Amino acid sequence: MSDQPLETAVPFDGLAHQQRQLRRQKLNRATTYVIAILLALWILVPIYFIFSMAFTTQEAVRAYPKSVLPLIPFSLDTMRFFLNSDGIIPGLINSIIVAVITLTLSTIIAAPAGYAISRYIFPGRNFFRLSILAVRAFPILVLSIPLAVLFIQVGIFDSIYSLAFMHTALALPTTILVIGSVFASIPYDLEEAAMVFGCTPWQAFRYVVLPLVLPGIAASAVFTFVLSWNEVFAASILTVQNRTLPAQILFSLSNSSEAYQFAGGFFMLIPALIFMFYIRRYLFNMWGQVTK
Amino acid sequence: MKKKKRNLAPYWLILPSLLYLALFFAYPMVRAFSLSVWDEEAVLPVRTEASLESEEAGRLHQGTQIELLGQQGNLLTDTLGDEVNLLTELWFNVTGENVDGNTISGWVSETRIRVREEAEDGTPLMGTVRRRLGSNADPLTTIFAEPSENAAEVGKVEASVEMQIVELATLEVWYQILAEENGQVVEGWAPSRFIQVFGDEVSGRIDRGTNGEFTLGFFEKMIEDRFFDPAVRTTLLLMVLIIPTQFVLAIIMALVIQARLKFNSIFLYIFSIPMGVSELAVGILFFSIFTQNGLFNSILQGLGLIDAAQPFLTADTRQWIIGAIWLAEVWRATSIVMIIVVSGLQAISDEVLEAAELFGAGLWQRLRYVILPLLKPSLQVALILRTILALQVFAVVIALSGGDIVTVLANETYRQYFEFRNANVASAYALFILAISMVSAIFYLRAVRTQQEIAA
Repeated sequence: MSDQPLETAVPFDGLAHQQRQLRRQKLNRATTYVIAILLALWILVPIYFIFSMAFTTQEAVRAYPKSVLPLIPFSLDTMRFFLNSDGIIPGLINSIIVAVITLTLSTIIAAPAGYAISRYIFPGRNFFRLSILAVRAFPILVLSIPLAVLFIQVGIFDSIYSLAFMHTALALPTTILVIGSVFASIPYDLEEAAMVFGCTPWQAFRYVVLPLVLPGIAASAVFTFVLSWNEVFAASILTVQNRTLPAQILFSLSNSSEAYQFAGGFFMLIPALIFMFYIRRYLFNMWGQVTK
Repeated sequence: MKKKKRNLAPYWLILPSLLYLALFFAYPMVRAFSLSVWDEEAVLPVRTEASLESEEAGRLHQGTQIELLGQQGNLLTDTLGDEVNLLTELWFNVTGENVDGNTISGWVSETRIRVREEAEDGTPLMGTVRRRLGSNADPLTTIFAEPSENAAEVGKVEASVEMQIVELATLEVWYQILAEENGQVVEGWAPSRFIQVFGDEVSGRIDRGTNGEFTLGFFEKMIEDRFFDPAVRTTLLLMVLIIPTQFVLAIIMALVIQARLKFNSIFLYIFSIPMGVSELAVGILFFSIFTQNGLFNSILQGLGLIDAAQPFLTADTRQWIIGAIWLAEVWRATSIVMIIVVSGLQAISDEVLEAAELFGAGLWQRLRYVILPLLKPSLQVALILRTILALQVFAVVIALSGGDIVTVLANETYRQYFEFRNANVASAYALFILAISMVSAIFYLRAVRTQQEIAA
């Protein structure tokens, strides 16, 4: 949407039409703001509410009716109660380890494959792409149960490493496709030009392509981290003693107080808040036009 | 854009992912199939003699009623697992004086020896022969050449004689069984671990077999499961509710982002927060809103619409639970669609949009004839992704309904595996979800074809 109407758009009754258009644009813009703010509230209000429940006294959690605006007494009581509950701290550590292993492993394995499908035409390329797509269509549940049976047989059941392998398998197809599309967005002409000017293919990749794709790869790694951090199903099937945080909370959900649940819910949310804020820059790099 | 070159490089580049996917995708997939249609313990071969090497006398299915005719110990060849019905006998290799005063050595059942001396780890070293009770019993105990009562006799020893215990042997009890299946009478031997003996000690049943057999029993069990129907219905209903709402909302969000308002980066940040939020956390988030003393009731009461807190998440208010799950899923997963749509919009050049605007196309016309057609590839990816994810809604349902009042297919898979310990029926559920995913993915790929694909 351009701010200045171009001359070609002006018919013979130029000025009046132009003013009408300007007025309409201003109105459109105001409507857009209203919609944007409503959408933002739709996302923020539930977060604010669970935040206020997570940082208050346990009496306030039980109270009814609740004061809607920030009149709920602030206290670390609920959060402290949650963090001191059984298995929360170990679960948190497990979750972080699993997510970090997953994102490292899947990026290392997927990056070459993503490069291959975006840069080379080779017999079997379409078949590979299609299998990746098909593999993406496999629900996590199909994998979890046979893998649980296998892990029990091999003796690596209930280990955070086997869970990380599983998460990597889940993340891999998406990562390959995302990295593939990131590479595809960099014209091959750039690489070719570098090679015309005397770069080896490796140098062309290292100095021309890599700096351009890094933000995209970082974003895909972030997707992977999110996927692993959020994953509940496989985590609750593959682990018994070494639960990740979501699995631990899910397991104790039915026999825990609302204070525990709300504090746990907000706690699982904190990384997302910080994390989206932190990778904001990468997102902006990836979609450079947005912030212009 | 693409390199027309044939060499081995691309194959080396995709090799690691192929290997990884073979191990963690292809294998589990095949295994899921075999778990759901292959009953590994369906058939037990019955032997003519109490030995695995002997010929088969016939085959009996799991659950067949049998009659016990006799039993015999048989040297245990494998290591002991946690076999349920396994019955073992212990035999000692002993050395001591026989009735004639000569030293003999041979095997005797543990039941005939009272252990008098043990090594520190509990291994018996020395014992005395037990006295036989009863007036007409043979007062002497027989020593055998092998750990079996059918083996040759080495000699006889008197009661209370001291014997050195040299070696131990564990025997597994084999049962001689008689059964009738499909009009055929089968008589033969089978190891105790596969036989469940009833209280009367003369009858029993085949507890499990060693040979697999194709079966549709697990799928039948799934369909007959009382949670199957409600799970299918709720899952499909949620798909139909969630996906369209999500796409409309995501396209609106994407257009807002594309309008490049002031504070655009903050709006983008806010819109993408739910993307990083765990499914379980969202479930809890909406539970905190709809629970009886939650936010929703507080607001209604504050506005004077109700007099007392209404229960929303109970068995009588299923529609509210479904509504809450719907809102929770829309809240959570719209961001991903929005980001896919935004990146699709970025790919549409500003010139195209400006041209459409200059020629007087309104917002709706631009959306309908310019933006949506160009967005097709992005929408296709988003649709497939979202459908598959919507089929796996799980933690949200548990958080909002406890998993019983309202249930979905993924929850039933979990229940079968976790509560009923039935990996087979769980796999059948998983494959059912897979089938729906595949059908919808193929549908989208055909329905929303990209222009290149149509041209090709």
